[in-house]
Amino acid sequence: MLSDDTIVALSTPPGRGAISTIRFSGPESLKIARRLVRLPDAPQARRATLGEFCDADGEAADEVLLTWFPAPNSYSGEEVVEVSCHGAPVVVDYFLRCALVQGARLAEPGEFTLRAFTHGRMNLAQAEAVRDLVEAQTLYQAKVAVQQMEGALSRRMAPLKQELVDLIALLEAGIDFAEDDVSVAPPEEITRRIEALRAPLEEWLASFRFGRVVREGLTMAIVGRPNVGKSSLFNRLLERERAIVTASAGTTRDLVSETLNLEGIPVRLVDTAGIRETSDEAESIGVRRSFEASAEADVTLLVLDAVSGVGEEDRVLMSRFPSAVLVMNKIDTGKNAFDGAQRCSALTGDGISALRRALVARLSEGAAEPGFLTNVRHERLIREGVEALERAADATRGGLPHEMILLDLYNVLRPLGAITGETTVEDILNRIFSTFCIGK
Amino acid sequence: MSPAFSESYDVIVVGAGHAGCEAAMACARMGLSTVLATINLDLIAQMSCNPAIGGIAKGHLVREVDALGGIMGCVTDAVGIQFRLLNTSRGPAVWSPRAQCDKKQYRVKMRQVLESEPGLKIKQAEVVDLVIEENTNKDRTLRGVKLRDGRTIGAGAVVVTTGTFLNGLIHVGETTYPAGRSGEPPSVLLGEALKQLGLRTARLKTGTPPRLDARSIDWSRFEKQPGDADPVPFSFRTLKIEREQVACYVAYTTEETHRILQASIAKSPLYSGQITGIGPRYCPSIEDKIVKFPDKTRHQIFLEPEGVDTNEIYVNGMSTSMPIDVQTAVVHSIPGLENAEMIRPGYAIEYDSVDPTELDRALHVKSVRGLFLAGQINGTSGYEEAACQGIMAGINAARYVQGREPVVLDRTQAYTGILIDDLVAKGTNEPYRMFTSRAEFRLHLRIDNADRRLTPIGHEVGLISSADYAAFLEKQEHILELGRVVRSMLMPASGPDGDRPTVANYLKRPEVRIADVLPLVAGKLDFTPTRAELEAVEIESKYEGYLQQQERQIERLKRSEKVRIPASFQYAGIPGLSREITEKLVRVRPSTLGQASRIPGVTPAAIVVLQAMISVGRGAASVD
Repeated sequence: MLSDDTIVALSTPPGRGAISTIRFSGPESLKIARRLVRLPDAPQARRATLGEFCDADGEAADEVLLTWFPAPNSYSGEEVVEVSCHGAPVVVDYFLRCALVQGARLAEPGEFTLRAFTHGRMNLAQAEAVRDLVEAQTLYQAKVAVQQMEGALSRRMAPLKQELVDLIALLEAGIDFAEDDVSVAPPEEITRRIEALRAPLEEWLASFRFGRVVREGLTMAIVGRPNVGKSSLFNRLLERERAIVTASAGTTRDLVSETLNLEGIPVRLVDTAGIRETSDEAESIGVRRSFEASAEADVTLLVLDAVSGVGEEDRVLMSRFPSAVLVMNKIDTGKNAFDGAQRCSALTGDGISALRRALVARLSEGAAEPGFLTNVRHERLIREGVEALERAADATRGGLPHEMILLDLYNVLRPLGAITGETTVEDILNRIFSTFCIGK
Repeated sequence: MSPAFSESYDVIVVGAGHAGCEAAMACARMGLSTVLATINLDLIAQMSCNPAIGGIAKGHLVREVDALGGIMGCVTDAVGIQFRLLNTSRGPAVWSPRAQCDKKQYRVKMRQVLESEPGLKIKQAEVVDLVIEENTNKDRTLRGVKLRDGRTIGAGAVVVTTGTFLNGLIHVGETTYPAGRSGEPPSVLLGEALKQLGLRTARLKTGTPPRLDARSIDWSRFEKQPGDADPVPFSFRTLKIEREQVACYVAYTTEETHRILQASIAKSPLYSGQITGIGPRYCPSIEDKIVKFPDKTRHQIFLEPEGVDTNEIYVNGMSTSMPIDVQTAVVHSIPGLENAEMIRPGYAIEYDSVDPTELDRALHVKSVRGLFLAGQINGTSGYEEAACQGIMAGINAARYVQGREPVVLDRTQAYTGILIDDLVAKGTNEPYRMFTSRAEFRLHLRIDNADRRLTPIGHEVGLISSADYAAFLEKQEHILELGRVVRSMLMPASGPDGDRPTVANYLKRPEVRIADVLPLVAGKLDFTPTRAELEAVEIESKYEGYLQQQERQIERLKRSEKVRIPASFQYAGIPGLSREITEKLVRVRPSTLGQASRIPGVTPAAIVVLQAMISVGRGAASVD
């Protein structure tokens, strides 16, 4: 897969767009690019130069911007050239074919990042974050990905790993230097230090729920009795008219869903039919779908009505959706307060910002620190580490000898190392790089 | 044109220390005509430093040497005067035997053992040069050695085991003089010859403490440390240690000791800049301890007899290169040693070692066919570390002469394999000593199963007699049978709930010993199990779950060890390898991907690149 050749690929999404960027990496990048792009002067490092992409007959096919990144100060650590042209697929395709004729090779999926990784431009966690950044849909997702690229994960890991290594060293010294004056750590101290490691690791693990939400988004269902204002709230959260809103109860029979940007987290918001006893067949199908939608949702908003107050039907729904976020709508009417619900008015927009903040706060429990987990592989590894810590704690309590406790502690160290790529690599590396999109 | 040899042998072993004795014995027992050349015939197997064999992790090495068919274990069992099994407060994987030996008897016994081997000739001679033939491809092959007296001896292979003798320089305070050990000449010419070959060398340092006259010591002032009541022998072939045990004594330094050393620190060659060689961090001199651990108010000192018919006492823990007057004052500052007579002062010695990354895993010098190095010359420290290299270099020198594939122990098989792999893959920047923490699979590498791990190999190469091998097989059969019984038999019902674990599971409880269940299982056996057999089954039962876990990890490691990197692999010009990493790989030339991954500074990323290059067939790599 690796050699000293020059690779090329489209590095923006394929298809029609305003601008498409084609990226070269490798020793011949500039040489090849300059055969395709006519420039007024020799390019300056890291400065965009306007030029013309010329076909084989020397005819200008497009006006392009060329930027040259000499090695090693580039994304991949090799010489890199980026050419931005107008986003017409036919132009891009022609450009790539010309580049191949001139000696470049089409990049394998993830090959730019693999090269960056192998040139020591980024560690494993950072390389994985690149993929997330590229796939980010919201600014917040992008920020999290950038944080990880910059090593937030590694920084959060470093002190924990240090403590673990300290504990291992303590026990090892006791074994290898039993003849010397090394004091043997009593079980209480070992247990205390294991616990001191486990708490932050578990907290970190808890942040995965939010991390996953940030990375993959979530589904939020709005449920409630008919006519409490579910669709109005839906629209207010979306800030535009989408659902059909009427004054008569039972209008929304089918599920309506739309993507909402909740402080940077992509949320699929699902409006549902009002839930009540009904003989109308169409409506009762809608009610059943409401329950299904809520069951599949990550978060359920249960809307209450300030005008009619909290009645028996609401109480049934509250017990049916015990973890739902309660929202008291229609507070603009000045009626009925109910403690424990987010108060808002879908009509006037009062309380909507507070509701959004409350929703984010609820989602981000355990994710106060930067470097939270967004990646399934990381989550699995840290879970593996926590489980090994638990076994180490059990072994300590069970009075097992230190060399056995150490075996468990090494089983903590190994997965932690596999995240920041500091211990030996497994087949997982090939998997990671093969899931990278071309040219990213 | 080959020089005229006055005589010729299959193998010449240079140096008769702990590495040389094992190497020579192995070659001779494997049927090769072998010469053991030493500068002083009367100091064969001299214990130049402390009077003990074994210790934590070192005891493991001795067991391994013994299991392969080496001689260190038997000799120790014969001349040991105080046996202790160390680390028994922890699990059996880290138990390790140690024996204080009678130093003089050790030499005498070792010489007897060597002299009883018909194929082995012992010669007092100083080897001063190597005879090397170079072909048109610049490939170098060793043909023999030159002696100080002018003779030239031909050999198929040469094992060099010169310890601290290469350009040895002794320091006592400001006084320095060239020596191999105290009172013995160094080996300067051979050192020069090795340097002429272009082998990289390093300057290392080690030290030794003063020796005292037992009659001048007030023994009532110290804590007595007796040997074990039931001594555990080193050798699998030793049935019982019969000899009477002596005691050692523990003393402590005082504030006065520390004051004297502090006041004289400028006179220490270590701190004056006189010594440039790198000493071992795990064995600091007493002055080093005071400077580096100023908060420690006292340090342990062990008083150990050097033998049963000598008054010489070794002051373990007081290694020093201070001037003699300071040494005397330091000794006298310890309660009980106020009037102690110093028989020999302590000293530090600097010596040349060869960078072990010049070797392959058979301890064969990569750039000179037929030249093997073993022991302290490779940057290690310790009799046991030397012995295990000696036997492996001996086996491989013999197999080289026989035209056979080398025997390489891997990290999952033996501490010996770990030691050699560490040395040849990583090199060392201080005298290398074995620790149990160096073993990834520590629970598996135990003293009780060293025979199971290595005796089949020893038998295969020809170092284990058929009688010994038959005894080994019978023991393994018994262990298997006993294991089957404990795993299948249930404990008698105890209490009303009738919980009945298997005997094996019952043995997992920390407080239960196999002796507790022996009456239950004895009736199921058609033999009377020995203590070793019982212990083996007890240990395997207690560690069972952990051992299975390690087995899986061993499998993973073995996969990366199977990806071979051909000797001709071209590292230069691989994209993705920094110049620094490329240089390291070119220097070490790892033989497998696993070994490459253990070279310090070689990043996981570099391993990915290597793996990719190997898989596309660069340099005709092969996976087997």
